[in-house]
Amino acid sequence: MKNGPLFLVGLFLSVLIAWSGIVLGSHAQLGRQTPFFDEGDGVAYPARQMGLAARGQLVYADLGCASCHTQQVRRPGFGNDQGRGWGERQSVARDYLFQTRPQLGASRFGPDLTNLGGRKPQPPTEEALYRFLYEGSPTHPPYAFLFENLPIAGEVSSLALKLSGTSAPASGRQIVPGERARTLVAYLRNLNTVYDYPESRPLPVEQKAPAKEEAKK
Amino acid sequence: MTNQSTNAGAAEVTAIDTHARWPLLYLIGAGLVWLIVSGVLSLIAAIQLHSPAYLAECAWFTHGRVEAMRETAFIYGWAANAGLAIGTWLLGRLGGYPLRGLNWFVVGGVFWNLAVAAGLIGIAAGEMTSFAVLQLPRAVQPLLVLSYAATAISGVLAWSGRKRAGTFASQWYAVAALFLFPWFLTATQVVLLWTPVRGVVQAVAAAWYAEGVFALWLAPLALAGAYYVVPKVSGRTLPSYEAAPVAFWTLIVVGTWTAGRHLVGGPVPAWLPTMGVVGTSLLLFHFLVLAFNFKIALTPAGTAMNFLRFGLLAYLLYGVFTTIASFRGVAAHAQFTFVTVALEQLGFYGAVSMLFFGTLYYMVPRLTGRDWALPGLASAHFVTASTGLVLALVALAVAGETQGNLLLEAKATYAEIFQQVSVPLMIHTAAQFLLIAANLLLLVNFAMSAWACGEKACASAAGLLRSSSSMEASAS
Repeated sequence: MKNGPLFLVGLFLSVLIAWSGIVLGSHAQLGRQTPFFDEGDGVAYPARQMGLAARGQLVYADLGCASCHTQQVRRPGFGNDQGRGWGERQSVARDYLFQTRPQLGASRFGPDLTNLGGRKPQPPTEEALYRFLYEGSPTHPPYAFLFENLPIAGEVSSLALKLSGTSAPASGRQIVPGERARTLVAYLRNLNTVYDYPESRPLPVEQKAPAKEEAKK
Repeated sequence: MTNQSTNAGAAEVTAIDTHARWPLLYLIGAGLVWLIVSGVLSLIAAIQLHSPAYLAECAWFTHGRVEAMRETAFIYGWAANAGLAIGTWLLGRLGGYPLRGLNWFVVGGVFWNLAVAAGLIGIAAGEMTSFAVLQLPRAVQPLLVLSYAATAISGVLAWSGRKRAGTFASQWYAVAALFLFPWFLTATQVVLLWTPVRGVVQAVAAAWYAEGVFALWLAPLALAGAYYVVPKVSGRTLPSYEAAPVAFWTLIVVGTWTAGRHLVGGPVPAWLPTMGVVGTSLLLFHFLVLAFNFKIALTPAGTAMNFLRFGLLAYLLYGVFTTIASFRGVAAHAQFTFVTVALEQLGFYGAVSMLFFGTLYYMVPRLTGRDWALPGLASAHFVTASTGLVLALVALAVAGETQGNLLLEAKATYAEIFQQVSVPLMIHTAAQFLLIAANLLLLVNFAMSAWACGEKACASAAGLLRSSSSMEASAS
């Protein structure tokens, strides 16, 4: 360590190698990934997000939704994501191909949202999501600032929330989702990883399970 | 409790210290103000965890943004300022000459803090990048690199122009942190912000950066302080010091290969989490050597040593727990719960911050040339801060453990989970109050000490002025 320049070069190389290995390594493996073309359907998956939903992801990101919600389903047998109805298969890199800024998240203080738009038995309706965002719940903050409190001029807006009780607006006024609320809800309703890619099928676990049962018998 | 370690005899304060006094004190002061800002934001975020409606009507204080601001103020505000001051001071002292390039240091320090302040406002307004640990908006990122590089020049010059042929562990760690951060920050900005890589590779790069911030930047700065102060205070050489280079290089070489531990079971290549386990396990060697080196830290008394002891212990625990948590079987439980948050707090607050506190209690009297203005507050700071921190960590760990278990049961609804964890989360809020109170004690103590030093400096400057004018008078 007596040689100053050599020390600095050593430091630099250590970091360069780690960065190349981890970041460039992953990039080399996944950077050229293409959508999967299903010949039966004649469509490529995943689909690009539509304009409104793509803008909604920006709202999701700037509100920091990822601080409580993940968007990554773990494989069957690892955790309990399937038991919670968050998705039947694990998320794979291809699912995020067209997302400008994937929101994987690191906390599940709220539920995983990977497949919110495809929840069984019924995905939440547009209206339910608006109400939820406006009123909140005991476990979720209300984001009233995404909505506009407007006077009713002529007809009531078709988007106006049907509210009752304490959250209802004063008479002659209506609560209408603002642009950010509309894009966010479009995005949330669009969250769904529908297609089963070759790499996302949880084969090994399925094969193992019956083998064990047979052995027991 | 004696406070020998925090007292500085006049003989111990050298020209190297007085020369760089005000630039270094400026950075420390700025860091402490950010620490309080971060504390208040932590408190808001903590309250929101058990009372979600708190401040929810205001877009600037949605939980996600508060969380991002808290983290940013802590890492880029408090830890960066304090760490830069500590690292530069050590390199100056051990280099043997007064620091050069201090004008760069001051200019860099001013712009760094402006960048952080502007960045926090940007996050509040919704401009965050949404990458954990790198939330500062795109617009201030270039300024971050430039101002850091300017600030780090003094330290690196002190290293390359040092008086002695031999070097010390403190110097390696400090110079590594000063030198490496601009590089890996730039590399990360390129792949995340300027020419973003596709899809989940972004998550991989962000995880790598997060590991870098700890292992290549803040932990080295904290360890530099410990390697310097512990032998000084205890008056003994470190045992097994000959193994210290191996510990250093293990941290630098392996430290960021652990990135995959954030992505266990995630939609990333499977070798990444495996590499995470390998990396954290190899790093255990680094922690083992440190444990041998710092055996002697167990006995000496004094506020500085109390903080250093706490910090070193937390650092070792962090090493052990991250290794355990990186294994898949454990991650299936602990991942995505408050256990992860507790672990991160153990590293950034328990280890890095507490080591910084310890070093500052030793360093500030040597910069000001006088004792801490209110020595009583120093011991009170340690008691309050350590109580608050232990309480916060235990509360988070309990909440996380409960949460992890309930998430594995399909029947437990989110409302039930919320109810079960709300008591530990309220305790966590109380702990945040304690931490703010504790750090206010340090801020007040620091401000009084710096003020007293400033008055003395003014008085002596005025004295000089008088004597010179009288000389002029006599000459004419």
